[in-house]
Amino acid sequence: MANDVRNRTGKNATGGAFITWAYVFLYLIIGISTYIHHVHPWILSVPDNRNVASWQHPAFEETAIYDRMTEEERRQVLKEGVPQGGDLTAQFATDLFMIIVSWFCFIHARANFGSWMASCFFIGSFIFTGLEESIWILTGRYLGGLLEHNPGGTFFGTYWFSKGGFWFFETPLVACLGWFAIAYSCVWVAGKVFPRMGLWGRAVVGGLIAMGTDLWADPVATSPELMNWVWAKGDFFLFFGIPFYNFIGWFLLIFLFAVIWEKLPDMERKWGRTGSSALFLTVCTSGTVLVALFIYVVWFLVSGGILHQFGLETVVQIPKGW
Amino acid sequence: MKSWRRFWRNRIEFYPAFSIFIWYAVGSVLSSLRVQNRPGIVTLGLITIPVVVVFIIAVRRAWRELPAGS
Repeated sequence: MANDVRNRTGKNATGGAFITWAYVFLYLIIGISTYIHHVHPWILSVPDNRNVASWQHPAFEETAIYDRMTEEERRQVLKEGVPQGGDLTAQFATDLFMIIVSWFCFIHARANFGSWMASCFFIGSFIFTGLEESIWILTGRYLGGLLEHNPGGTFFGTYWFSKGGFWFFETPLVACLGWFAIAYSCVWVAGKVFPRMGLWGRAVVGGLIAMGTDLWADPVATSPELMNWVWAKGDFFLFFGIPFYNFIGWFLLIFLFAVIWEKLPDMERKWGRTGSSALFLTVCTSGTVLVALFIYVVWFLVSGGILHQFGLETVVQIPKGW
Repeated sequence: MKSWRRFWRNRIEFYPAFSIFIWYAVGSVLSSLRVQNRPGIVTLGLITIPVVVVFIIAVRRAWRELPAGS
């Protein structure tokens, strides 16, 4: 990755005014979102961590975690709320940890590709993942449960994060930074291990590696012991308690982002720095909507519909007990 | 000692590997200790071992690619 791109962009090139404004805008969104989430949670109908019984669309019984719990665990969550759900100190400490982890990636990106490319990766990550997740979360929160779609049953197509210090819309900072660090590291790993592979191949391998790391982390993070985020029911295939569209989403987002980001130097030659920055961020924004639509149509409607036609009536769970 | 100096001088080249290792260690391995009573958690960890192997290969390649005499 480094060898390809390094020669095409100025190593010490600055981000320019557009990127500076993008940073200002990003921090402003984080500030406002964090304030709304913690001080006025009713504005975005944020589910209450302390009162699980008050959850609506989906109710506690309509979440995937409900099926993963024993009766005793359900009683405990109903009584005490989400585990460590009110511990803001721990949530800000997790943010700090993730800031440090992603800072390492940012320093590497800046040293190898210049400030502009590093900033585009950083800001683009927020837009790509933060916006994507917020679209899923908010559309599901307000429109979920309106559709009955077998074999998954009542369709919510949503989830939400229960913990977070800083927020970008309804996505915690830790998720956006985590995505940035994982996406960057995995594409770097793919470039090192398969140096002769072209851009598309590297992006595929990077996406698969990221999906591999996510495979273990997600079931653990969403377990009844942690409940860092909560999935609504509605998918027809659960892998270790995680709706499979999550893994498809991870792969698609990292694959597409890697391709678009590595095209930046070519875009810069054609449209200049400001034009290519604007185009890159616009493509990221529209890409999130397209990925969400793709998963909804191809996974839920087409694949689910075909499997239902072939006789699949209930949700497939691998393995049972998750 | 010489290897350590060489590594330290080029430490930035290893930052992505450091990031992904620490994320994997904390986000997956350490967090799993909280849920070790769940069936299949060990299997799930074993499934992701190829990913760790790929990380290690990447670090070795990064080490070999360091400029001579650095």
